[in-house]
Amino acid sequence: MDRRPLLSRAPRGFSVLGLVLFVAAIAALAVFPSFVKKPYVLHMGVVLFLAVIQGQAWNVVGGYAGQYSVGHAAFFGIGAYVTMMLLEVNKIAPWVGIWAAIAAAVLVSLVIGSITFRLRGPYFVLASISVAEIIRLATLHFKEFTRGAEGFLVSEIPTLKIGATEIEFFTKRPFYFAALGLAVLTIIANWIVQHSKLGYYFQAIREDQDAAHSLGINPAFYKNVALAISAAFTAAAGGFYAMFVKFIDPNTVFGLDISVQFVLICIIGGIGTILGPVIGAMVLVPLSEILRNPKGLVQLGIVSSDSGFVRFVEANLSNAHMLVYGILVVVVILFAPEGVLGVIRRLASRVRRRASSRGRTEPAATA
Amino acid sequence: MTVFLQSVISGILVGGIYALIGIGLTIIFGVMRVINFAHGDLLMLGMYTTWLVFSRLGIDPFVSVVITGPVLFLWGAFLQKTFINRVLNALPQNQILLTIGLGLIMSNSIMLMFTSDYRILTTTYSSSSFSLGGISISEPLLVGFLITAAITGALYWFLLRTDTGQAIRATAQDRDAAQLMGINVQAMSVLAFGIGSALAGVAGALISPTYYIFPQVGSTFTLKAFVIVVLGGMGSVIGATLGGLIIGVTESLSAVYIASGLKELVVFVLFLGLLLFKPSGLLGKTRA
Repeated sequence: MDRRPLLSRAPRGFSVLGLVLFVAAIAALAVFPSFVKKPYVLHMGVVLFLAVIQGQAWNVVGGYAGQYSVGHAAFFGIGAYVTMMLLEVNKIAPWVGIWAAIAAAVLVSLVIGSITFRLRGPYFVLASISVAEIIRLATLHFKEFTRGAEGFLVSEIPTLKIGATEIEFFTKRPFYFAALGLAVLTIIANWIVQHSKLGYYFQAIREDQDAAHSLGINPAFYKNVALAISAAFTAAAGGFYAMFVKFIDPNTVFGLDISVQFVLICIIGGIGTILGPVIGAMVLVPLSEILRNPKGLVQLGIVSSDSGFVRFVEANLSNAHMLVYGILVVVVILFAPEGVLGVIRRLASRVRRRASSRGRTEPAATA
Repeated sequence: MTVFLQSVISGILVGGIYALIGIGLTIIFGVMRVINFAHGDLLMLGMYTTWLVFSRLGIDPFVSVVITGPVLFLWGAFLQKTFINRVLNALPQNQILLTIGLGLIMSNSIMLMFTSDYRILTTTYSSSSFSLGGISISEPLLVGFLITAAITGALYWFLLRTDTGQAIRATAQDRDAAQLMGINVQAMSVLAFGIGSALAGVAGALISPTYYIFPQVGSTFTLKAFVIVVLGGMGSVIGATLGGLIIGVTESLSAVYIASGLKELVVFVLFLGLLLFKPSGLLGKTRA
């Protein structure tokens, strides 16, 4: 197995090509809804951006700092519940409430971090799961405050006024732009973390915690910083999710499968990279969305409503999109532990090596 | 006092079955150093096997242990040979993710086959109980506990007295040294995973008269099994036995004296405390 330290592969410089591609992609995605107006496509876009945010958020603590949290549902759920309850109980608009949600999640992350980061490896994984479970069970139990298993339903999102323009959250369109903006922000934040001193500290802790410690990096402190950053973006994703899906209950936002989803997005794409979570989201989201709702493909005109495919999926697979997650993760761990991005890189370097060796031998043959 | 005794006794009865689940997980961890996140899903498969042979063939759940055990043993051995064996030297995170993936495949395949409806296995004795000095004891739980005790006893005998059992323990102690002594560690790993999943399956069979059966039932038991195993010290069979009983009694007492909705929460809080102050567990020696 490839055991090279991941640090040697982390990009250090500033790539102009990368920046151009990034800006071009944002521009293309921003004008996209002007051409394609089908709600299913926009819905898919929102879910995709949300997955990118989730993956990037987890990446900060799981990818760079190497702390495999399987309890991110805790922050996601806190983000969702605080935003939702402020709106439904206190009538505070979500774009205000989400800041309170982020603050709450960061506070909780500091408490959780100070407890769990004293543990390493599998013990940390178990502790992170337990924390999320404790919060889920508490939310289920204290009904007077959280409404328990009944959950919350969005009654109405107020109209957002920016200057003279009024934005109403009736269609998928405003959600699409909000999610895109949030995803772009998260990616930029990830890039800054990766290329800052902070990011190098994280990666040093990931590669060898004891060596990093002996160099004067306080592992507990920097792991906490990584978790706090991660929790902030995760809570934002949770708050957004609550407003977009319009219904939350303890099991849908604090469940173990939500935590697993965070990890999967990164594992499938490639851990500890900017592009990884994006690729992971692009693989996972379309697959699970099509299985969840194959009628969408009919709306797009790709297949007809009476086609065998749609009938088969609806009859057999609509409840089992998690099956796809399971199969994907098994395949990735067994055959491509570095994720899709790792496979692409390996193929690319093989092609390049072949090309360069041909380039060297051919002139020699003619000479 | 009666209430206290009552809840301690029902806690011990349930705890015996928890112990069985924990022992399976701890044997797998001991031999392979792999944390099996699919353990609860193996238990779930045991429940469904029991439910199938009960509803189709009319075989009593407690008798069906002789079917569930071997079936899950073979399934576990297959999983080890095909999947787990390939990641024995991988990063622990990747091992964990692989078993999470396998668990998702199992629970979702069962959901595809049998839908996510809750199944109840109704036997003539499902809710019957008898009274002993003012304390009522649930019959299915008592029978389950007795079978558990018998199986645990047999397992101890197997691990301590037979050559194969000693070979398994040797592999758990030091894989390389065991191999140098001529022990087939590959075969021991397959055997250990088989035994581990058979124990989970049997536990599933034993609780099926008293629990709801549904595809997602496993995850609660997976988490509980971790708590039990860490409590007793990872890899320690005696520790897991004790851990199971302690968790059973803790749950039962906190259901009575705190709130029934919070019994699992109490267990997790205790677990976190334990991880912080004695991560090697009650009987563990080395700190991992």
